[in-house]
Amino acid sequence: MSSAFRPEAAFASAAERFFELMKSCGAQSGSAAGAAPDAATLAGSLAGQFEQWLRATQSAGPWFSPGAAGGNSPVGVGAAFNPGAFAPGSSHPGGGSWPFGPLPLGAGAVSGAEGQRSFELITQLAQLQAQLAAHWHEIADSAASQFVARLGSLASGPPTLEGAMKVYEVWVECAESAYGAAVRKDDFARLQSQLANVSAALLVEQRKHAETLARAFGLPTRNEMDALYGQVRELRRELATLARPKETPDKRKGAKRPAAGRKKASRAARAGGRRA
Amino acid sequence: MTPSGADPAGFVDLGVRVADTLQKLRRAAAVEVGCSAKRAVWSCGKTTLYHYLPLAGPGTTVRAAPPARPILICFALVNRPYILDLQPDRSLVRRLLEAGHTVYLIDWGDADDSDRCTDLEDYLERHLAGCVAQVLASHDLAALDLLGVCQGGVLSLCYTALHPQQVANLVTLTTPVDFHAGDNLLSKWVRDLDADLIGATGNVPGEVLNALFLSLSPVRLAQHKYVRLLASGADQRAVEDFVRMEKWIFDSPPQAAAALAQFVRWFYQENRLVRGTLEIGGRPVNLRAIRQPVLNLYATQDHIVPAAAAAAMERCIGSEDYESCAIDTGHIGMYVSRAAREQIPARITSWLRARA
Repeated sequence: MSSAFRPEAAFASAAERFFELMKSCGAQSGSAAGAAPDAATLAGSLAGQFEQWLRATQSAGPWFSPGAAGGNSPVGVGAAFNPGAFAPGSSHPGGGSWPFGPLPLGAGAVSGAEGQRSFELITQLAQLQAQLAAHWHEIADSAASQFVARLGSLASGPPTLEGAMKVYEVWVECAESAYGAAVRKDDFARLQSQLANVSAALLVEQRKHAETLARAFGLPTRNEMDALYGQVRELRRELATLARPKETPDKRKGAKRPAAGRKKASRAARAGGRRA
Repeated sequence: MTPSGADPAGFVDLGVRVADTLQKLRRAAAVEVGCSAKRAVWSCGKTTLYHYLPLAGPGTTVRAAPPARPILICFALVNRPYILDLQPDRSLVRRLLEAGHTVYLIDWGDADDSDRCTDLEDYLERHLAGCVAQVLASHDLAALDLLGVCQGGVLSLCYTALHPQQVANLVTLTTPVDFHAGDNLLSKWVRDLDADLIGATGNVPGEVLNALFLSLSPVRLAQHKYVRLLASGADQRAVEDFVRMEKWIFDSPPQAAAALAQFVRWFYQENRLVRGTLEIGGRPVNLRAIRQPVLNLYATQDHIVPAAAAAAMERCIGSEDYESCAIDTGHIGMYVSRAAREQIPARITSWLRARA
């Protein structure tokens, strides 16, 4: 089970943000008594809250977050990017491997041209992160402006839960609309891919250092293991080719096999499996 | 927790409601998922083939004699299949068992580092082929009915195209065929991904996939649903239903690097399935070779598999007996919504019976 599965924390955090939104709107209506509503203040406040949430939960898009951005994310989206969540000994079913996080290697393990390449990738990653932050800012501004524009059309009256939910539903629509429009743009989509590519390249670079160390200690490297796997795979293929009978189309779909052709589970066995 | 500036009377019980819902969530933390009895009958690597036991005992009704052929359910690699048997009143598996079907299900398990190089050919020609062979041998049949779900539907299409004689009828549920059709945000985001690099970095943790799916619509999927739970004043049972779904949503298995890289490149980026350029293990996957009856079920509001991506199947396959059914719900709604629960099992059963 993912470490992001924390329904209580997610619920508490969502409720808190719901109150925060209502507070902003309530404070606004309070200040509006006898005065023109200060839409700019409200929009600024909402945009700030939303941008902060986006940074915390979506900080790196779905791929990479150097420095464990979003570690305090209550909903778990950001937490999923937190390399700390995959520390050795964690219950992560993949064996604690985290493809896009920093390896536990000191600066001394990186040297020369390899170190230079890693440094370039880290710089590149920081630049992409800055671009992403600009998108979050744009999305939050747009969502808040849309919301403020629609808020005036909502019927006012004594505050009730139903009324608050109506306001909240409008906020969700505006936030999703602003987010959806921005993330469908080509530059955002390209940025998502670039973030993943650069972080993957960084990990590959870091693995090279690890391989050097593994070799020095006489340990098999990942490349060597993969090469061995390739050999096993080829042998398995050859075996399957030798064992596979010629497949003949059976026009009587669902018909019982002819008695002469019955060899129970033989094909399953050839697939390399075993009966439970 | 009363918003300042608002009339406290309007929110007087909201704080209480938050505390109450939190308590219910705590009580629901250990809720069970998966409800029907099953036994493992075959395995290969991390993949396990399960046979669901016929329903028995009080309160269970099997409404018809079993059809001649068993159904093999092929689920996605990226999610857990227990969503199809989440709880007694939300279980496609259970509804099929009640209708008298013999049901098998493939659980792909958790890929670990020893599966880094497991690719789509392995999954199709060893794992899925092994499951099919096991079911056929157990029932002494030449062909079965295959039910592919989401990415598992893509695998099922490929398998049927490669081994048409082993599949009598094919049912697909929320299955993308044209990965560039419709408003496919996922496809747009991965278009420039370097699949080789992703493959080289190793298995992708399930958490990354969870986050990816949530980030398609973050406010709704990571905020709104909790506030709705608060506002609904859900009772303990409703909170338990909610937590079961949450468990599933946050429970994606790790993905074998090679298979995921191939899936991203061949399907999402190069759209090979509809272009007719897909090869698995050196053999062309020609959807025109699918001539058996096909029932294609998809959702009209699916944010992961747009309706257009699924509906494209009709123009790609060779079958003259093709039926589709668009259901007015979203991707997850196809597994658990009331509309889906009422329509999908009945539709599958009647369609299969007409072709038994």
